[in-house]
Amino acid sequence: MKASSARYLVGQGVKSIWRNRMMSFASFCIILVSLLMVGVSVLVTINLNKIISGIEDQSEASVVIKDDIGEEKQQELREQIEALPNVASVSFYSKDEAWEDMKADMTEEQQDLFRYADDNPLPDTFRVTVNDISLMSDTSMQIETFDNVDSVKSPTQFADVLVSIQNILMIIMTAVILALIVVCLIIISNTTRSSVFARRKEINIMKYVGATNSFIRIPFFIEGMLVGIAAAAVALFLTKFAYEGVYNVFRNDIDLWSILGVSSLYSFDQMSVEVTACYLAAGAIIGAVGSSISAGKHLRV
Amino acid sequence: MVEFKNVSVTYSSGVDALNHVNLKINDGDFAFVVGSSGAGKSTLIKLILKEIDATDGDVMVNGFNLTKLRRRKIPALRRTIGVVFQDFRLIPTMTVYENVAFVLRVIDAPAKYIRSRVPYVISLVGLQEKAKSYPTELSGGEQQRVALARALVNDPQLIIADEPTGNIDPALSYEIVDLLKSINECGTTVLMVTHEHDLVRYFGGRIININKGNIAFDEVIGGSNTDEG
Repeated sequence: MKASSARYLVGQGVKSIWRNRMMSFASFCIILVSLLMVGVSVLVTINLNKIISGIEDQSEASVVIKDDIGEEKQQELREQIEALPNVASVSFYSKDEAWEDMKADMTEEQQDLFRYADDNPLPDTFRVTVNDISLMSDTSMQIETFDNVDSVKSPTQFADVLVSIQNILMIIMTAVILALIVVCLIIISNTTRSSVFARRKEINIMKYVGATNSFIRIPFFIEGMLVGIAAAAVALFLTKFAYEGVYNVFRNDIDLWSILGVSSLYSFDQMSVEVTACYLAAGAIIGAVGSSISAGKHLRV
Repeated sequence: MVEFKNVSVTYSSGVDALNHVNLKINDGDFAFVVGSSGAGKSTLIKLILKEIDATDGDVMVNGFNLTKLRRRKIPALRRTIGVVFQDFRLIPTMTVYENVAFVLRVIDAPAKYIRSRVPYVISLVGLQEKAKSYPTELSGGEQQRVALARALVNDPQLIIADEPTGNIDPALSYEIVDLLKSINECGTTVLMVTHEHDLVRYFGGRIININKGNIAFDEVIGGSNTDEG
């Protein structure tokens, strides 16, 4: 194809957007809203995953060791636990440490009660963190079968809740994205149909003088793609501002972050390249594919 | 060259539009196709342009065997044919120049060629003064001349004129046929469909009369204008 033809085709695509501006605007809006919704849910998911993995790192199982088994057997047990595939780390938490920590949390009156207790009632424990929190309960059960283990206390319920939140989010997000893609394609298809209608005389003549099918279709393809890219650019802009607003509100809330065990949300700059690329690609592809499908259907070339 | 070999067309409604038609139009010919409406004239044209396919028989146009021609190759066929319609079919948002140039653009012609070819063709139909006018600013006869320029610009081997004088003043009709004749003299085959017997009688030449899907008459007659000189 010659450069002059390429210019002509792009020009036709641009003209078509203007000639058909109401429907183009409708396409623009629907792509914009869709990208915003998908973008926001993806950003929320990414950050939730970060928070969840922070909480996962903090959540640990407590393995209560049988009393007075001696250091050698303790070491043996530790190696046994470490050998499990899902175990990330094992740390020893002695009864003395536990006692000190417990006393530190007590009020003075409570401390008085225990002043004369010469025997430490607490057991030695191992604190075990896992790689995959969804397998926490399996891992706990495996540890319980080992010799010299009195009991295992693990926050399995909490882990289960986190995992199910993650799963539900994934399902909702997938459903939302699929629904939006369908809506987008329908609206764009309508836009293209009216755009084909507006140009039906030209298209008729083009067919009679021997324009190839691709030559007739390319302007619609370009029209859809440009609308998609424009919507993506605006969506990107809005997302950046909204996200940074939220980010700044929570950034200095140190208490919150210490509970969650992560330092902060991702900053927009950390993700800007990926987000930009995804938005532009998604906008262009939705626009171009939507109008191509429709052009093929309505042109019958 | 257009050649029909035993061509039949039956529409899905069951109507027999053409019955075993044999017809040959050689390169450089000028032929009138006449017949009442519903006789099969439009079917003939649609076959040549491969808008429809023959139910039976073979159609050859400008070296293409249309029975075997793949859909993908239809543009190549149509680039060898120029078409003029009764209702002009000019694009109202384009000037005369753009209407003609448009044809070359959509077949991917070089910009330089478009710039030299379009003014030349517009001058052939005598509209160089109106190149920047819009179709609505022109008379019917002028609009049909633009349509003729558009059909010519591609330098086709064959021009099909489908009732080109149907929507214009009778006096201007002669002008259009004169133009078609002079185009034909430069070597282009012209097939003109009409039901204006006065015009046919005046110009004479080869007359193909289609009646109820059959060729009722196909002969060369002398025109009243040629009788004089």
